[in-house]
Amino acid sequence: MRKTYRYKDLEFPVADDEDVQFTVEFVSDGNMVQTVVNTPGDNDPEIDGEGTKLLGKGADLRGTQTICFSDAANPVPNEDHIRINFKINDKLLVEHSNEKSEEERPYIVLAIKFPTV
Amino acid sequence: MRRLVLGLCISFLATASYAQERLTDISAPTSPASALLGVQPQSVLSPKSYGALETALYSNFINSAGETVLPNDFGLEFTPYWASDHSLTIEEYLYPQDVWKGQIVRNSSFSMASTQNFRLGDSTATSGLGFGYRTTLYFGNKKDREVVTQFRQQIAKNQKVQARIGAEANQLVFQPEIQGRTDFLNAIRPVIAKALQDVYEEDSTQLVEEQVNTILADSSSLPTYDSDNLDAFLDAFMNMVDQNLVDADRKLNAQAVFDNFKGYIKNRQGFSVDVAYGVFLNFPASNFKSAVAPRHSFWVTPSYRFKDELSRLKVMGVFRFETYNTGYYKEYFPSSQVFEHNIDYGIAVSGEFDRFSLQLEAVGRSSNSLVPAGTDNTGNQLFRKDSRSDFQAIGTFVYRLNDRLALTYSLGDSFEPIFNAENTLVSLVSLNFGFGGPTRQDLSE
Repeated sequence: MRKTYRYKDLEFPVADDEDVQFTVEFVSDGNMVQTVVNTPGDNDPEIDGEGTKLLGKGADLRGTQTICFSDAANPVPNEDHIRINFKINDKLLVEHSNEKSEEERPYIVLAIKFPTV
Repeated sequence: MRRLVLGLCISFLATASYAQERLTDISAPTSPASALLGVQPQSVLSPKSYGALETALYSNFINSAGETVLPNDFGLEFTPYWASDHSLTIEEYLYPQDVWKGQIVRNSSFSMASTQNFRLGDSTATSGLGFGYRTTLYFGNKKDREVVTQFRQQIAKNQKVQARIGAEANQLVFQPEIQGRTDFLNAIRPVIAKALQDVYEEDSTQLVEEQVNTILADSSSLPTYDSDNLDAFLDAFMNMVDQNLVDADRKLNAQAVFDNFKGYIKNRQGFSVDVAYGVFLNFPASNFKSAVAPRHSFWVTPSYRFKDELSRLKVMGVFRFETYNTGYYKEYFPSSQVFEHNIDYGIAVSGEFDRFSLQLEAVGRSSNSLVPAGTDNTGNQLFRKDSRSDFQAIGTFVYRLNDRLALTYSLGDSFEPIFNAENTLVSLVSLNFGFGGPTRQDLSE
């Protein structure tokens, strides 16, 4: 059974007119990750591997929490860990790390709230 | 006259070492240090960080009184590159641009082995220390690119579908209208269908509907939808999706595709060259001043793994150059016949199948020594070149009884051993309990 790593009750205060940029950054080697951020509306931002996507303005992300879901895997035999940094506007939000002996295909779920500054 | 040696032995590969030659594997050893020392340590430490390396060395080479000791039956492998993170993408890992940094440095491993039971010719137990180095160069081909691309695309698609479903599922459970499992499944069904349609570019509504039904086939066995503990429900739901998300062509689920890719990375088709070096130090008088290096070995092993239906086959060549300290062998192994230089060259074909593997190898050996042969009229030292050629042909059959237990049978004609020169015919059965010598996998994992 695949293990899910949940990071709940995350908060990142933003101003109403501030752009919110979400970044997935690999730390360990050879990660394969697909990330989807469930934002209001139909076009959820998706990140193929590493990268940064605009989630919207701060005002658009109020109210309900935003779910960021990553399906990760690491097939590299030399690597023991899966380490991934999740950032918002270049600030580290979560530093995920798990040993591959524990799970080599983890799901990573971030539940983020964007309160006003 | 050669004498038949029929050895039927149950060989627990963690036995102590003796100064006798083992069957020489054609491939470069995963641990040159252990190979030269002739030991098969019960466990090989593979520290994955510099801190762990320091701990391993300190705890084994320093005794409780703070004195430096040489541990018995000790093996250690260290691959410095993998002791730290480099944020390599899978593309950079699989296809390094730079041969030096991307291949030679990355694959460099250093090994060390020691024993206190290296027996001299008169059976005196002495200390032995081995050091080794190994690296691998890999040259992929077009077919390798195709295979890797196919795996990566399939994994990316599976992940994208699951990430879309997971992002929606984890949001749905917070919506007030979702009151139970039925509400949840009704709400997630169109999300799954859209993800399949978009990612797999599937136009047939009927086919998509069938796939959704397959994915949700086990939904009746999901745990109770408990609003106070939704994590358990969501975990079970996502695992159901993972299990039932099946590749339409090959009928493989996401885990199987990943496992196949992992297996392929360890045995990529194409050409590779292993290069290894090892040196053995012996301390005949049990002190550092008596240290002598009786043997150095250098291996170059090119190999080619075939593609498609021949992918279970591998062809290896070998070039091995060894130098022996003949003075040492004359003094401590007076009955042995050792040449100063040995050059081995040969070829092997191996096949790996589900439960067994087979290897056939043929290796030639050219040995020579310069032997003092008096002096000329002006008093200059003269030398005579003694040389000998030899041949080894061995077939090895390995049957895996289970993951940790393998039965091995070798049959053939070996090189003339150093210590019992007439014993060349080999018929050897061994039972390997899987905790013997280091394997390539030990190094990489």
